[in-house]
Amino acid sequence: MTRLSLLLGLAALAAGTSARAAELPAEIKQAGALKLTVNSTYAPMEYRDPATSELVGLDIDLAGELAKRLGGLKITWSETPFAELIPSLQTKRADFIISGISDRASRRETADFVDYLVTGPQFFVLAESEAKAAIDLCGKKVGTTRSTSFPVEIEKWSKQNCEAAGKPAIQYVPGENSIDVRNQLKQGRIDAAVQGSETLPYAQALEAGKYRIVGEPFAKGYQGIMFRKDDTALREVVMEKLTAMIADGSYKAILDKWGLGANAVATPLMNAAPQ
Amino acid sequence: MKAAPTVAEGFPDLSGMRLAREPHWFRWLGAALIILVLAAIARAFAGGQIEWSYVGRFLTAKVILEGIVNTMVMAVLAMALGIVLGVVAAIMRLSPNPVLRSVAAGYTWLFRGTPLILQLLLWFNLALVFPTIGIPGLWTARAVDVMTPFLAALLGLGINQGAYTSEVMRAGMLSVDIGQYEAAQAIGMGRLRALWRIILPQAMRVVIPPIGNEFIGLVKATSLASVIQYPEVLHNAENIYYANSRVIELLIVAGFWYLLVVSILTPLQMLLERRFARGTMRLAR
Amino acid sequence: MTKPLVAIRSVSKHFGEFQALKRVSLDVWPGEVMCLIGASGSGKTTLLRCVNQLTAIDSGGIWLDGELLGVREQGGRLHRLTEREIGRQRLKTGMVFQRFNLFPHKTALENITEGPVQVQGRKLDEVRTEAIELLRRVGLAAKAESYPAQLSGGQQQRVAIARALAMKPMLMLFDEPTSALDPELVGEVLAVMKELAQSGMTMMVVTHELGFAREVADRVVYMDQGAIVESGQASDVLGAPREARTKAFLSAVI
Repeated sequence: MTRLSLLLGLAALAAGTSARAAELPAEIKQAGALKLTVNSTYAPMEYRDPATSELVGLDIDLAGELAKRLGGLKITWSETPFAELIPSLQTKRADFIISGISDRASRRETADFVDYLVTGPQFFVLAESEAKAAIDLCGKKVGTTRSTSFPVEIEKWSKQNCEAAGKPAIQYVPGENSIDVRNQLKQGRIDAAVQGSETLPYAQALEAGKYRIVGEPFAKGYQGIMFRKDDTALREVVMEKLTAMIADGSYKAILDKWGLGANAVATPLMNAAPQ
Repeated sequence: MKAAPTVAEGFPDLSGMRLAREPHWFRWLGAALIILVLAAIARAFAGGQIEWSYVGRFLTAKVILEGIVNTMVMAVLAMALGIVLGVVAAIMRLSPNPVLRSVAAGYTWLFRGTPLILQLLLWFNLALVFPTIGIPGLWTARAVDVMTPFLAALLGLGINQGAYTSEVMRAGMLSVDIGQYEAAQAIGMGRLRALWRIILPQAMRVVIPPIGNEFIGLVKATSLASVIQYPEVLHNAENIYYANSRVIELLIVAGFWYLLVVSILTPLQMLLERRFARGTMRLAR
Repeated sequence: MTKPLVAIRSVSKHFGEFQALKRVSLDVWPGEVMCLIGASGSGKTTLLRCVNQLTAIDSGGIWLDGELLGVREQGGRLHRLTEREIGRQRLKTGMVFQRFNLFPHKTALENITEGPVQVQGRKLDEVRTEAIELLRRVGLAAKAESYPAQLSGGQQQRVAIARALAMKPMLMLFDEPTSALDPELVGEVLAVMKELAQSGMTMMVVTHELGFAREVADRVVYMDQGAIVESGQASDVLGAPREARTKAFLSAVI
């Protein structure tokens, strides 16, 4: 009896160990390539370099490094609009999504997130604006990309910080994408704008001295690599490689290259965003 | 004495016989095949990854209904603007004045030659070129205050529509017999009055079918105004799926409403055509 | 010492290569009924259309009621009149077309009242009374509310005559008024034209109806290849033509 239970115990241990040293799904190994898709309008995460037309960005570099460590896989990149990213994952057009997408509870119905970058919405204004602190924006027109989670974040912040203090609420003005929002800021249609904190250093570099950040990111969140819920094997092996990248500094190097060293995570988290 | 002519022998009288009905086997076969294909497609849609409960839930959501109302309002107003501009441009195009002719031709060329979405974006972002508009001394305003999504959509869609409508109008006016114009001249009418009282009313008959067609196209073209934040039905459907990630389901909701509107407009157009044709075919004597 | 109502002096007109009128000169006297006959392409219709300026002449001059048509003489040069002035000059003539050209979207009565109300600015009530009287004169009082599509060709042409008369012109121009009519309808139109002639209206009629010409015309003018070949009393030109070409034309159409 004991010898049987010992054998069973050893077998379980062996199974457990092999599960932890996760395996790449067979189709990907066979294909020798990852199918990934991005919404390439989101500098510095993923975008087309205006000079060379090449697909570049923090996500591109991270994915490339991951693919190398997953056994020298190639990556077949495709591009889709932001709203198509999740359907692309569900229909298996993409193996996983690494495209500046925020980890959100509403998205976790059919997917899991491996969070790899700290982010959060941040207010910014034109350099000559009179607003000095975020509270100055109560009652003003603030714009952001309507397809993101930021409109909800602005409303929440406005309720907690403006209306609670007896000030008028922020007026939210929708925009199609971050370029459209910055255009509206320049024309004066809006008084301030909100973008993910990871995109602001790039925007400021593009037009030096034009914009000024106001306050800190007013909500904390994470960008996550998105996996299908049933795709546990792939998710675990990617998490493993990412942990290794953080440990040996290559992760930080990539982030620093894009000016986002401050947004690093200490270790990859799963579904860690607060809402 | 019979008045009917006499005829030769050898040809029987068939007037009592009737034509037999043909079974048309291949038509039945074809119809059955088509029904099978449609059923297969319907099954695929029903069984696929589409969550039909979301479609049902949002089909009559307040923002969707508001959206389709905004769609129709914009389509009607833009079409009205397009017709006015189209008539004016067509008249200018047929003018003996070469300056007027060139301006009209240039208008048509420019607004038919550039994508509608580009025109909408330019109108909406007019303030990048003209930060203030108006007449200095009389009235000025910030362009961003004046150029709301509604106005930008109206101008973009209406002025674009006018360029196409002007060609339809021009063809309609040219289709009116030149004798009509000469008869109007013969009783002393000037060019513009003859156009307005005699030529255009007759051109309308020819022009109604293509205009009806263009209107149906315009109803769907309003969806482009979503990128300048005009709250028509696609824009509002997008806002919903940006929040709940149900892209296809919400697009089906929007598609349903577009289809419904066009299904109503199509027989309406036929009624309109028939009413105008009645003017020309008064046959009662 | 009366002056001719219409004075045509050395008028020429070409369409591209084709010379339609070659230095034509002609007088039309007040109250005169003149018939213009000739083969197609002879220039008779072109000449008629030059009188109410539907066709612009290349050279020469036409005076109507003493006024030079279409141009103004100034400093030895001719200056074109504005569209408005030409329109005003057109009011002195009324034209009846071969294909009637009634306005199909208006009733017979509306066709007649259109000109006086819209162009001459007269009040609708009095114009309507006159229009009904004109319809009665052409024998169509019952058809006032009918649309052109509901009328026969002869009826339409009679309404067209009434429409022209409503403008109170001093000269009536007829461009082959019965050529597009079925034979049995020609008579009713000619009857109206005859009555009009007898009432003293000055008329220029381009026609193939030689019987009408013989009966009603004061003068017949035969044209060929853009020039007047022979002109004179109806009995002379039609009964005993002097020119060989006139003879040839008449024998071909009789």
